[in-house]
Amino acid sequence: MSDPQQPRLTPIDEWEDEAEAMLDDVEYDTDLGVQMARDAIRVSNGELTDAEFHEKYHEAVLDEFGEDERPTKPEGFEDD
Amino acid sequence: MTKHGLVIDQERCIGCQACAVSCKQENNVPMGQFWNRVLTEGGEKMDTPSGGYPEDGGSGSLDMQYQPTACQHCENAPCVKVCPVNATYTRDDGIVEIDYDKCIGCRYCMAACPYNARVFNWDEPEHMPEEGTGDVEARPQGVVEKCTFCSHRVDEGLDPACVVNCPADARIFGDLDDESSTVSKYIDKYETDQLLEDRGTDPNTYYISGEMSPGRPQTSDKMESELDDVSPWSDGDDDVPSEEADSVGGESSGSSHSVEGGEIPYATPAKSGGDD
Repeated sequence: MSDPQQPRLTPIDEWEDEAEAMLDDVEYDTDLGVQMARDAIRVSNGELTDAEFHEKYHEAVLDEFGEDERPTKPEGFEDD
Repeated sequence: MTKHGLVIDQERCIGCQACAVSCKQENNVPMGQFWNRVLTEGGEKMDTPSGGYPEDGGSGSLDMQYQPTACQHCENAPCVKVCPVNATYTRDDGIVEIDYDKCIGCRYCMAACPYNARVFNWDEPEHMPEEGTGDVEARPQGVVEKCTFCSHRVDEGLDPACVVNCPADARIFGDLDDESSTVSKYIDKYETDQLLEDRGTDPNTYYISGEMSPGRPQTSDKMESELDDVSPWSDGDDDVPSEEADSVGGESSGSSHSVEGGEIPYATPAKSGGDD
């Protein structure tokens, strides 16, 4: 999958293409993975809080994986 | 607290791939996979420059630099935030690690890592020799793996394999929370960059470029914190005899070191034998 010869420090637009390719044949939801990856960078940037990130994807993660053990869970957040 | 970090002096890096190879050996990295890579910034292929040779008296535009890359052990690691089963986590000492027993192979962490530092075991991992190498158990098919800063060595007070085996002393590992550590001093003194700073991931890996540092000559496998004195900044009794330092640090690198006060790191002959 990855070519060790080539730099991967790609601009964000190209990164999305790469992210989709990475998840292309994964047995889980590709779109969810790409969206979460994009928003995880927004959390790192400070554009989104951990709590907002957690709440935004909690339902989808539960549906897809049957559990949500991400460390972004805010204090007092109640699992369904 | 301790926060482990790595400084890589790109001015010292000679692109020899010793870090990549020693990482692979130490961590039992499967055939076809690399946790640690030395990329080339310049031409389209490895070890090729961009630009051209001087022609007709012109200055030319050849340009090439090595870019060693592995997991950056980010403070705000997006890979950790997306892992639905908490298999990827950050240790108290800042090392980002994977619990391979928990990993379900969803690869969301790979998509979230802006450094492409992770690899996925698509097939049953193959090793050469078959029984594997190094001191780390092989990971199974279907999991993601990556650099751990050689946490198994760090836990024993030893530097990561890539650091110990860098012949250019370009890799310096230490405690970023310790102001007296060489990594902290170098980050303070030299111009350093973190990769993709605009992502806000705040990597614990820093790159020196522009002015060459003295590096950190390896006097043993031990981490700096385990040694009595190794820092070129130390005021200890074991500080460098200037003549020896000149012959070791100055001429061999062919560089212009610029440590204040003429302090150049003391490099005793490296210990022979294995690493642990």
